[in-house]
Formats: sequence, C-alpha cells, structure tokens
Amino acid sequence: PAAPPPAPPGFTDVTLNSRNTYEVSRRRSAPEHLPHGGTAAPAPPPQEPTERARHWVGIAGAGNSFAEFFARNFFTKKSKELKPAVQSAPGWKLFGKVPPRENLPKDSKIIQQEYEARTGRMYKPPPPSARRKNIEFEPLSTTALILEDRPANLPAKSVEEALRHRQEYDEMVAEAKKREIKEAHKRKKIMRERFKQEENIASAMVIWVNEILPNWEGMRATRRVRELWWQGLPPSVRGKVWSLAVGNELNITPELYEIFLSRAKERWKSFSETSSENDTEDAGASVADREASLELIKLDISRTFPSLYIFQKGGPYHDLLHSVLGAYTCYRPDVGYVQGMSFIAAVLILNLEEADAFIAFANLLNKPCQLAFFRVDHSMMLKYFAAFEVFFEENLPKLFLHFKSYSLTPDIYLIDWIFTLYSKSLPLDLACRVWDVFCRDGEEFLFRTGLGILRLYEDILLQMDFIHIAQFLTKLPEDITSEKLFSCIAAIQMQNSNKKWAQVFASLMKDNKEGDKNHSPAPKN
Amino acid sequence: MQKHNQKEHLYKLLVIGDLGVGKTSIIKRYVHQNFSPHYRATIGVDFALKVLNWDAETVVRLQLWDIAGQERFGNMTRVYYREAMGAFIVFDVTRPATFEAVTKWKEDLDSKLVLPNGKPVPTVLLANKCDQGIDVLMNNGIKMDQFCKENGFVGWFETSAKENININEASRCLVKHIIASESDPVQSIEPDIIKPHLNSSKIVSCSACFKS
Repeated sequence: PAAPPPAPPGFTDVTLNSRNTYEVSRRRSAPEHLPHGGTAAPAPPPQEPTERARHWVGIAGAGNSFAEFFARNFFTKKSKELKPAVQSAPGWKLFGKVPPRENLPKDSKIIQQEYEARTGRMYKPPPPSARRKNIEFEPLSTTALILEDRPANLPAKSVEEALRHRQEYDEMVAEAKKREIKEAHKRKKIMRERFKQEENIASAMVIWVNEILPNWEGMRATRRVRELWWQGLPPSVRGKVWSLAVGNELNITPELYEIFLSRAKERWKSFSETSSENDTEDAGASVADREASLELIKLDISRTFPSLYIFQKGGPYHDLLHSVLGAYTCYRPDVGYVQGMSFIAAVLILNLEEADAFIAFANLLNKPCQLAFFRVDHSMMLKYFAAFEVFFEENLPKLFLHFKSYSLTPDIYLIDWIFTLYSKSLPLDLACRVWDVFCRDGEEFLFRTGLGILRLYEDILLQMDFIHIAQFLTKLPEDITSEKLFSCIAAIQMQNSNKKWAQVFASLMKDNKEGDKNHSPAPKN
Repeated sequence: MQKHNQKEHLYKLLVIGDLGVGKTSIIKRYVHQNFSPHYRATIGVDFALKVLNWDAETVVRLQLWDIAGQERFGNMTRVYYREAMGAFIVFDVTRPATFEAVTKWKEDLDSKLVLPNGKPVPTVLLANKCDQGIDVLMNNGIKMDQFCKENGFVGWFETSAKENININEASRCLVKHIIASESDPVQSIEPDIIKPHLNSSKIVSCSACFKS
C-alpha cells in the first residue's frame, strides 16, 4: 500500500511532553484556597496527569456548595490584600526560588557563624555588614557569598587586590539584586493579573446577579450582555445562565423528573435481578436492547472524567449521574442512552442541582444538532460536516487542502467534539467556556470552536501526515489556554459569501440528492 | 546501521468489539506500554501508531483505529472500515454478552469490508481481561478453535491489557497473516475457500494461533 511519508520522529513525544508542562502550569494556576487544595487531593495515576488538573477545575465549578465556598473565600481574600496566596504555600518549591522572608539575612549570619566556628575563628561582626547597610534588599543568591579576608595562616591580600575583590563583590551583589528585583516585579505582576482576573469575575458576577438575571429576557440579547457573556460566565452563575439559555421547551418539571427516575429505578431493580439469574445466552431481543442501554450507562459512568474521582462508584456524584442518565432513557426511549451523553450530563451535574441538570440535559439534547447526532442520523450528520467544511475552506484554505490530500474528513475528529460538546477533548474549564458561548450562539458555535482549534494548531497540522493529524486532533494538547483558543475562535468568520451558518446549512439540506459517499476516510494519501 | 533496502509496510488495523471490553486499553498497552483503569470512553474513533521492525529488511507501520463500541454507531463507523488490512475483534471474558456479539461484529466487518482480492480481511479474536479469573471460556480452548474456524478468524488469544499478556503475540499473528495474504494474490480466484485455515497451516511459526 502507498504509505504516507514517514512521520518526523518524536511527534508523539512532543505532545506527551506538553502534557506534563501543562500539568505544572495548571497546578499553579489552581486556586490555592480551595478545600481540596494540594493537600487533600488523592495521588492520581501517572498515566493521565492532566485529569488531575481537571480535578481542580471540576471542584471549582462543582455543585453549589463548592461554588459557595469559592465565592466566600474569594471575598475574604480581597480584604486581606495580596498576602495569603504567596505565604500559604511555603516549601514545595524544590527548584523554584524561595520567596523572600524577613528572617533570611539572619539565617546567612548564622551560617557564617557556624562556618567560622568550624574554621576555628571567633565570630565578630563582619566588616561588610556596615557596608551592607545601604542595601535595603538582600539578594538571596548572594547570601552564600561571603567576602572574607584570607585566613591568618595565608599571606594577606594586597591592598589593590582586596579593593578589587570588594569591588567585584559589590558588582555581583548589585547585579543579583537587580535580577531579583526584576523577578519580584514579574511575580507581583502575575499576581496582580490574577487578582485582576478574579476581580473581573467578581464584578461580572455582581452584574449577572443584580442586573442581568432579574431582567433576563430583556437583556440577554443586548450587546453589553453578549460581550460580557463571551468573557466567560462566573462559575457561580454559570449553571443558572445555562439553564435559562437552554430553556425548557419540553416543559419538564422536577416532579416529572422524579417520575421518570422512579421508573428507571424499578427497571434497574428488575434488570439486576434477571441478569443475575440467567446471565448467559438468549434473552428476548427487545428486552435485551433496552437493558443493554442500562448496562451501557453503568459501564460508561465509570469512564466519565475518571480522574475526577467523583463519578466513579463510591464517588459523590456517581448515583446522580446514574439517575440523570437513567431517567433520560425512560423519558426518551426513542433516543435511549448514547455514548457521549455521560460527559454532557456530568458537566451539567457539576454546575446544577439534580432536577435542573436533568431539565437542561433533556432540553439540550432536543436541539436539532444534538438530536441528529444522538440519534446517529448519519445523513444529517453528514450535512453538518458539509456545512462545517464550507466554513473550513473559507477560513483555513491551506489546511483544508492539506486535509483533503489525506482524505481526512471531519468524521475523524468532529464526532468526538460534537458528541461531548468538547467536554472530553478540552480541559474542563475551557470546555465550560465553550459551553457558555454555545448557550449564547447555538450549534454554530460548536463548529466555530472546531475551526478555532484547527486555526490554533494550523502550523503544526500542516507539517503532519494523516495518522499524526488524526492522533493529534483526537487527543488535543492539554496545555491549550482559553486566551489563545478564544482569540482563534474570534478570528473565525462564520460568513460564506454573505451566507451565515444557518443559511449554508439550510441550502445543504435542500440539495438532498447529493450522495453521502464523499465522506469516507482512507488511511493514505 | 543504515538500511538501504528496507521495505516499509503501512497497515490500517481496526480494533472493534462491544463497549467496555478494553479496546483502548489493549492499544495503550501495545503502543505506550502502560495501563490505567481510568481510560475515558471512546467516542467516534481514536488513533495510535505502532512501528514494528519486522525483520532485517522490513518495517511495519500499524495504524490502529480504535473504534467506539456502541452498536448504535454502526452506521457511522462503517466509513472507518475503509481500506483496513486487518482487524482485532475484542470481547471481555467476564461478560458473556460481549462474546455473543463477536459474530455480529465479524459479520458486520465482512459485509462492509473485503480485501482487494475479494477476501475477508484477516481478523484475530481477542479474549480480553483474562487476568480477572472469571473466565467464561475456561478450558474451552478446543471450542474456541472450532469457533474461530467456523467464523473465519485467523486466530484467537486470551489477552490482558492489565497484565500485558499475549498482546504482542496477537499482533504478530495478525501481521503475519496480512503479509501472507498480501504476497498471495494468485489465490484470489477462489474466494470461497476457507482461507484463514490454509494460511495458518502454512505459517508454522504462528504457534499461538489455534493452540490446543
């Protein structure tokens, strides 16, 4: 067979490594005041380090109690100014700089005393101390440098030599001091930015709670709200806004949820009874089908954000996820359980109360795009892919041709993205931000996000062959940041010769006659 | 040592089977030499690449297509089968239903995909999670051989991604059959002969196939 050009060695390695650096940065950016801070987090498996990073995010956005905790800490912190975050984490910085502390100069003196004691000399106030007085800021890196006269048993330095040494010493100290002040500034700047960000979230939250939410229908479409929305929803109002934006066309009430939930529970009971009795061979086909759905849910729940350790058996949200999915299969037996749903339900559960999560879930899956995918309506899915490709070609013509040359079609990578609404492929906090705007803009934004991802990695993807692109897109680097991704998404124009997404899609729906067979991935060029 | 006359083969391999039988785990073990109980469900398809130095003058590149197991996706995953050269069908020895699904998967595969010479693609059956001790096959090796012959599998292996059992062996078996079927285009005239059987008797060193 015609083989694609051999891959540049180490491609997979690159992505693997990037994952590790991601972990570090994510861990640092995680709020240090969360209840599950570094101390309580269970040691995660080494295979998927970033899942642990998601852990933080997940908790930060999790349920109401966590959100409240977050908000509480958030405000107390503001009054305490910048101090606690720095000082709450001493130690554990093996290779980083130890933050300056008041007692450090004293430490160096003690070291010096000890040194002198060992070398048999009496401690006397070192002559440089007087000179050092004018240095209000002792550079850490020079504390080990001790300017000393030679031991008595050696010939003394000449005057010039002593002077020169002193001068060199001063220069070194000054240099180090400069460097460290610069670094301190940098640190401060980062802290300032972080706090500014948090302040932005806090002030946004006030606006959402006091102004927007009470006047939802009147304000949701205003420019100001839409812009604020694009910035990302504050975690504490996220669930609420999602619920409002998704709506409740289906008029589901919490009572209705309870009804379907109890029906699901009955079914589980009979299912577990029958399955334990005759666990082999022929069961009635239709019964088996339905029960397969239940078994699939069981299997998939443990594989939903596995490293968050909250949806797995024994985890706090295991039963909740089970309930929401089970109730849904009773509510919509025509759709049933389809893989990917567990991720969507999980994200909703992290942000909403149980019944609200169910209502949002059912309504979300009732949107045309989601319905097409979860019913695995192949011809409709191909229409969505075709519309996506129209905008792909428009926005990224070079990459589009590159993909074409490998017959690399959207069904290779888009299926995962659309089925899980990016919750599986992007870091959870970033996925939530995608959901934010998806709630604002609808299905179009899902495809725009896909194009944003392709744009973000265009340069790398252009260097890759089929298998490496496929691998890359089905397992995105985890160091992807929201700033970069959203600026790439913003740069994607959802206009094709004056036609918008909806129009392009509608016109594709019209010419139904065009064959579906253009979409078939092949392994080679 | 630079190899000038090295031949390179690229084979697209499918890994299919019911949901949760361990397809992703097998691939991770095979390609990355590790195992985690925490893999996420595969949606659509995932990919991996394994490069084998087959012999002194042959390099084999295996493109592994890890295809989502839910039956519902059947229609959608058909396109993923195109131009595959071989397949693993995986089931979970602790869940009998997944074994019952094996024939369904095999029929599905054969109905959607044939080699250029009109024959079904070489397929190896993997009885995964054999470390679990709840083996439904227990001492049914002979039956399994029979099952493989009847259903056109070129071989079967009890595997464990967790304990790294038989995965390399299974892959070598499959690749051998692929290479053999490639270098054997003459016989393409008689498509109804039970090819896998012929192949396996020809390749003596593939001892793990049809073990007794």
